[in-house]
Amino acid sequence: MTAVIFNEVSKFYGEVLGVNRVTLNVPPGITSLVGPNGSGKTTLMNLMTGLIHPDHGTISMRGISPRDPEALMRITGYATQYDTAPRWATGFTFITTGLLLFGYGRAEAEEKAWKALERLSLTDAANRKVAAYSKGMRQRVRLAQAIAHDPEILVLDEPLNGLDPLVRAETIALFRTWAGEGKHVIISSHVLQEVDLISDQVVLIANGMIVAEGTIRTVREEIQEHPSQYLIRCRDASDVASRLFSEDHVSEIRLNDDRMGLLVMTRDREQFARALGRIALDGHRIDGVVPADENVDALYEYLIGGE
Amino acid sequence: MAVYKRGYRRYDGPLTGRWARFLVLPRYAWRRLYQQRLVLLLTMLAFVWPLLCAGFIYLTNHAELLQGLDRDFRQFIQVNGQFFSIFMYVQAGFAVFLAALAGPGLIAPDLANNALPLYFSRPLTRWSYALARLTVLMGMLSVVTWVPGLVLFALQVGLAGGAWFRANWTIGVGMVAGFLVWLLILSLVAMASSAYVKWRVVAAAISLAFFFILSGVGEMIDQVLRVTWGHIIDPAWAVNQVWCALLGVTPPEGPGAAASAWALAAMIVLLALVIERKLRPVEVVS
Repeated sequence: MTAVIFNEVSKFYGEVLGVNRVTLNVPPGITSLVGPNGSGKTTLMNLMTGLIHPDHGTISMRGISPRDPEALMRITGYATQYDTAPRWATGFTFITTGLLLFGYGRAEAEEKAWKALERLSLTDAANRKVAAYSKGMRQRVRLAQAIAHDPEILVLDEPLNGLDPLVRAETIALFRTWAGEGKHVIISSHVLQEVDLISDQVVLIANGMIVAEGTIRTVREEIQEHPSQYLIRCRDASDVASRLFSEDHVSEIRLNDDRMGLLVMTRDREQFARALGRIALDGHRIDGVVPADENVDALYEYLIGGE
Repeated sequence: MAVYKRGYRRYDGPLTGRWARFLVLPRYAWRRLYQQRLVLLLTMLAFVWPLLCAGFIYLTNHAELLQGLDRDFRQFIQVNGQFFSIFMYVQAGFAVFLAALAGPGLIAPDLANNALPLYFSRPLTRWSYALARLTVLMGMLSVVTWVPGLVLFALQVGLAGGAWFRANWTIGVGMVAGFLVWLLILSLVAMASSAYVKWRVVAAAISLAFFFILSGVGEMIDQVLRVTWGHIIDPAWAVNQVWCALLGVTPPEGPGAAASAWALAAMIVLLALVIERKLRPVEVVS
């Protein structure tokens, strides 16, 4: 059992909807939860970590129920969106204390704490008080406490907030490494471009309900009501445009100002590909074709933005 | 999942005992508590009375030092249940102020900083978190209550001999048990106010007011309704009734020790429910 599975999960806070009838099957890798504020992302994360329990449905975290914190927390690391590290503690004390709560002996805890701090480039600041840390450092120490016990599932709420570009790139690289080791890295983020870059799969959520789930491409392919957009780079953009306009599935074409490219909107991706092949065979030079809306930004706009 | 199998191994080394893990929290909390000057000062002040009591015990056990005193007075100053009950009243007062001073800093900052999810994303349940916080307060208050009480008892046994112990061992047991009941009430009140109010000063004021207000309300009930059971809602009064029974001292007029014990038990349950309600990792404000 290596998946995170939600089966018909609902959670209400009194009369306030948290999430409703969520069914998910999240494989290992980087999964991004995407949705507007109050959509239920943090509720999903709290459900995964057993901080709250569903009113209906079942959750399995790699075969472990979140109702068994002793077993679940051995394999799960959670970094909340809150700046919770006690300001009186040093980064090292903070991480070590957390590990002692896991039941590690002091020597083992200290060794693991150093490793975690090293992975987040905090070794030099380890013995400084958290109160003296910058926002980015506090974010990193929060991540360090989540990974310190080497969990299989990482649940990270807005993990890239406050990080400078360099550390952000290093952190994304870490996510990649963990995902490559077969771990679950489940993150929530508002920065859609980043989600695009790092996610193996996305879960789009709005009003407590899952709007879409899967790889960006498969989700995009399932959105029929919005024509797919392609950017084509070619020398004779006007000719290519006129050829494409004769196709039924093409709904709109926009020529670039430099006349070296065009944006095509098509309702049938396969027919578009065939048409483009024919045009190329007829001697038109096509330098490149890139999907223009196969990204989280577009998915967000199509599936959530209109609400 | 070949990569997963090659690249990752779960930790299978030794772990500390599940029930001992919560002690990690008090260890850090005690260190921080005693870094507060006011707590340290009040703790030191709380040792003055036990020292005086120790001197009293020494005097009563050295007849030669009391030669010049009146015979009746010499019979009056004895180390017995009454002596220990007076010792307990004074130390219990210090404990109230210490609990009000130290208690609110235990939970309120965690709630204010949304730190509970951090604790509960460890193999730590809400109850073990509460137990850890309770241990902090009970431990700190023990230092000024039953621990010096037990030292005094041991001193008296040492000076008066085995015969005194055989005749009065119930005083020692009663004192420790009585103090533990009081410390439990104090700690729960401090934790409950800390869990409800995120501002430490206000939480401290509330935990002090709890005792004064209930005492006043109890008095009012007695006066208005011309009854004697009104005091039962005053935890200090109720615990005094229990202490009197435990130490074999004549209790004040009013409901007996059993009724007072039930009242205290009900209070403990209510306070535990209050804490249980607030100690949640996720707070939803509708």
